[in-house]
Amino acid sequence: MQNLAMILFSVILVDNLVLSQFLGICSFIGLTKNLKSSMGMSLAVTFVMVVSAAITWPIYFYILAPLGLQYLDNLVFILVIASTVQIIEAIIHKTAPALYDSMGIFLPLITTNCAILGIMFVNIESSYNFVEALVNGLGAGLGYMLAMFLFTGVRQKIEDANPPKFLQGLPITLIAAGLVSMSFFGFKGLIENLFG
Amino acid sequence: MSVFNLLTLPLQLAVMDVVVAILIVTGIAIVMGALILIVFHFFSVQGDTREEEIVELLPGVNCGGCGYSGCQAYAAALASEKDTDLSRCTAGGQETANSLAHYFGHAAAKFVPKMAIVHCQGSQDQVRVKYQYTGSMDCRTATELFGGPGSCAYGCLGYGDCYRACKYDAITIDNGLAHIHPEKCIACGACVKACPRHLIQIEPKYSDLYTVRCMNPEPGASVRQSCNIGCIGCGLCVKNCPSEAIHMEEKRAVIDVDKCTHCNRCYEVCPTKAIVKGL
Repeated sequence: MQNLAMILFSVILVDNLVLSQFLGICSFIGLTKNLKSSMGMSLAVTFVMVVSAAITWPIYFYILAPLGLQYLDNLVFILVIASTVQIIEAIIHKTAPALYDSMGIFLPLITTNCAILGIMFVNIESSYNFVEALVNGLGAGLGYMLAMFLFTGVRQKIEDANPPKFLQGLPITLIAAGLVSMSFFGFKGLIENLFG
Repeated sequence: MSVFNLLTLPLQLAVMDVVVAILIVTGIAIVMGALILIVFHFFSVQGDTREEEIVELLPGVNCGGCGYSGCQAYAAALASEKDTDLSRCTAGGQETANSLAHYFGHAAAKFVPKMAIVHCQGSQDQVRVKYQYTGSMDCRTATELFGGPGSCAYGCLGYGDCYRACKYDAITIDNGLAHIHPEKCIACGACVKACPRHLIQIEPKYSDLYTVRCMNPEPGASVRQSCNIGCIGCGLCVKNCPSEAIHMEEKRAVIDVDKCTHCNRCYEVCPTKAIVKGL
């Protein structure tokens, strides 16, 4: 149990998907203009992250590893994640139209999101067991949500701040992202002190 | 074992590996493909094909005159029956309204052609010059500086923000006043948004449309000082209108187009000729 809590907290705060591992930056920059789209995207990412972890973990350890085909993980994971998202999309569209509308365009968008694929590789490389892999996926999604939420607020502050002309738009956004990322370094010693 | 066999042994192993790899990936792909097929078969949602069909009926100029962001958005609103007004398309006019009505199986919708009207007649001959303006030649900037160089703080500035907003060459600036040409205007509303003084409004394209072409809400004396042809708020038109289609907003007459019976009374009594007949 303590192990799972450690994975959850470290992936949310210390190894934050966006702010420490620098995965999923394009959606981080692209969809943080308003809270609605950033939360829709985070919700979809969290959801797909858990489901993909549940599917890629058995495929790797029960199909690829016994046959010595570990080098195929990249190809197979992309294939599996993309088709899983398609299936999930169809099911949600039919059973929960309201949820489908709120996720909207973001669900198909994340089929090729590097954050999802990255976390699947982290699961394999850290040789997590199945439950740990699921918790890692969930935590990574929540960490992504936290980063998106924080940065949406930061960007709205930037909009009001009227920065110098040469910094307006993307430059000031990237600088702000760097500063938010640096602030997350403050969590570095957290896990050792909490669970050490 | 012959030399030939020794040489090809590693090759045979490699070939086996590749074949297995190909089989595994193909197998997974086929399984996922089959899953997708099955799921789509059971969970397929009948997509609304009407939206695409309605888009085909619209002119596709995406002008926004209907009040939606473009033709696709209007079609979506019609398809989902959130909006049942089939005559919103100003660019397509009666023709589009008819084809939409035909598509939905209604009787042909009545389409009132509309156009933008500039509610000001203050050309350079009618207003005084307050100061020599040498700033940026656009209305939005000029209006910020002491209410513009013209004596009327409500009138047309004539720097052509509406002219630049119009994609259909329907606006000309003549003698410091914007003119809209009825035959070219499709009532998309781009100029309405562009005018910093909100002088332009969309009105029905009647050949005998009566409009008060002045937006100055100040009392008569002050209007008279700034413009020869403004509405002085005398209220003669309100008193003389037989159908009670005219009312005063502050010190300015406003004609309700829906109530107007085109009797010409207001046009006759207006002392400053601020009421205009026609487009």
